[in-house]
Amino acid sequence: MASGPFAFALLVLLAWPVSQSSAQSLTIDTTGASLKIRAQGFSFLEGDPLARLKDGRSVRVELTAQVLPAPGKPVAAATRRIFALSYDLWEERFAVTTVEKRSQSITHLALPAAEAWCIDQLAIPLNALGTLRSGQPFWIRLEYRILDTESTPDAGESGFTLQTLIDLLSRVRKNDPAPQAIDAGPFTVRPGGASSSQ
Amino acid sequence: MGSILALDEAMRTLGLLITLLAVSPQMAAEQKPAVPEGTSITSAQVTGFDIDRLSPGLRAEILSLAGTPLKQQRLDELAARIEAERPHHVAAVRTVMDVGGEARVFFVVGRQDQAERDDNINARYTVERAEITGVRDEELTQALRDALSAVIGKRLDSPEADRLRERIEHDLSGYDVSRRIRRGSEAGRIRLLYEARKREPPAWLDFEPLRPGVVFHSEQGWGSYLDLALGTRNVRVTPIAAIDNSDDLVEEYSGYGVRVEARRLGTRRLGASFEWTRFEQDWEFATLDALAIRPDVAALYDTRSTITPLVKFAFTPDLSVAAGVSISELEPPSPATASQSANAFVASIGYDHRWDAASDATHRLGTAFAIRAGSHELESDLSYRKYLGQGTYQFDFGHHHVQATGMAGGITGQAPLFERFTLGDSRTLRGWNKYDIAPLGGDRLIYSSVEYRYRGLALFFDAGSVWDTADQRRFRLSTGFGLHAGPAFLVVGFPLNTDHVTAITALGLRVPGLGARW
Repeated sequence: MASGPFAFALLVLLAWPVSQSSAQSLTIDTTGASLKIRAQGFSFLEGDPLARLKDGRSVRVELTAQVLPAPGKPVAAATRRIFALSYDLWEERFAVTTVEKRSQSITHLALPAAEAWCIDQLAIPLNALGTLRSGQPFWIRLEYRILDTESTPDAGESGFTLQTLIDLLSRVRKNDPAPQAIDAGPFTVRPGGASSSQ
Repeated sequence: MGSILALDEAMRTLGLLITLLAVSPQMAAEQKPAVPEGTSITSAQVTGFDIDRLSPGLRAEILSLAGTPLKQQRLDELAARIEAERPHHVAAVRTVMDVGGEARVFFVVGRQDQAERDDNINARYTVERAEITGVRDEELTQALRDALSAVIGKRLDSPEADRLRERIEHDLSGYDVSRRIRRGSEAGRIRLLYEARKREPPAWLDFEPLRPGVVFHSEQGWGSYLDLALGTRNVRVTPIAAIDNSDDLVEEYSGYGVRVEARRLGTRRLGASFEWTRFEQDWEFATLDALAIRPDVAALYDTRSTITPLVKFAFTPDLSVAAGVSISELEPPSPATASQSANAFVASIGYDHRWDAASDATHRLGTAFAIRAGSHELESDLSYRKYLGQGTYQFDFGHHHVQATGMAGGITGQAPLFERFTLGDSRTLRGWNKYDIAPLGGDRLIYSSVEYRYRGLALFFDAGSVWDTADQRRFRLSTGFGLHAGPAFLVVGFPLNTDHVTAITALGLRVPGLGARW
């Protein structure tokens, strides 16, 4: 009943959700008339999707970049794109194609470069920012969702495996369509087009 | 970075054009400018697409057009339904007037541009070999062999390869089939591999639920109970360790043990388990004080060693029974006093059913009734009977979770302290301390609880009573809230029907199941 262990445990409990997104960072860049996002340490191809790619299959990923005037506020501007990624078995490099009518493709990329290329395509027109263009602070939310995921055959039976623990600790829920996301801010864009993080 | 290529739009529609052209020459020769409404239809067919891949209802409606008068709106509706069923395809209606004045209807189906494109970079490689592993050769039909052979020598077509996987899985009932590609024998060639894995039927008997956790209770202190499952799908060995655990019994116990379980002994209806544990006890002052004035309650002990062999039988996947014995040796605190044995016949029946309602809602109902009978026939020093019935209903809808729990039990005779009922810990009657309610536990129990959770936030209401037959029963209520983040939890409970409302907190880590499977 000592207060020391109690306080320590409470601290661990409260710090739990905060510790999830510490290794990732977002920066912005204004190129021409658009706002571009850079996401260091942000990887969306891990685990099962990556294994599928290495098996020679393609994986579709939906990426969304949102601009918010403040955390939790309605989205001021957003862009969303779907990418089809595949892994060249002979070249041992990744290829990406945007899934849209006038698609773009890129090949011969290492994994981090393929992920960075996808994020680079999420340009948001500066004029879509409205009043946020005039030096007001805003936040960026970057979301990704792996599409057409496959369920594992034993999903209902794996109540006692190490994978269960990993899922619990990483708060991953099978069949949960909720996208993964990272947030960062505040950022500002000055009328001249220069950008900065605060 | 590599080169950025724009894909040729015309190539994407090539498949559809080819499909349309395939039926055009014949129709062009026979077709008149228009087929009037009401013309009798002699036949209706789907071209460019296997009609068997449409739903039976839609298939029947298309085929039943024969003999009916032509209605263009009806034909357009059917074409729209084809597109709805096959989202990556487009369908068009062509009607052809026969020389006899009757109409033939064609639903021309082609792959849509988006689906025609293969986004997989490996589509440029040629399949040199296609094979199925994990299934005996005699289980493969000639049609499947032909289908595999048909892709050899062609470039990889991922959608087609996926359809072939679906077909293999359909034809090989009882197998899960996955596909992968590997490098071939020379550059530019690949092998297309389908791996069939026998689908195991679901188990009918469940293993004993695991309940590892480390808990701090603001009135009862720290305690932990760890059980780690190791094993296969049907056989499991579970080492057990407890340190100062007081979250479920009157006693606070530390020790170790092991449980070995098999849930399929020749048949999935039959299973067995064997558990051995050895725990040393600490007793709260409140328990010692209460025991001093209750000579009718069984004596304290310093060490408890128990073996529990059980046989289990499942009538259905949801309904099972278990029976066996529990042999406990209770070593007294003083060496001068002889040890006591508490040997009991044990039997239980359990029903557990989960069902999915419409949308994403799921319900789960679990009920169990257990009897433990300490008997002189097992050379037990303590003779008693214990009955415990419990039920849990869970409802899940999105992030909403509702759980209702009920328990009732009774003990007759002189039961050892570890058999006596308690309430007031981190799981039951939260907000009350069990050593304030009944420091010796009780021989009667009634309890119910309702909890609602939204994401990690929980609200609960508990009500129950634990008492001895000779004493007056007092019903206690509590409410509170909880925060749950992964395996971590924090629960704050408040007693309701008392003059001294003080919060009782419990927090810690609790993992529903932990182990390794090989």
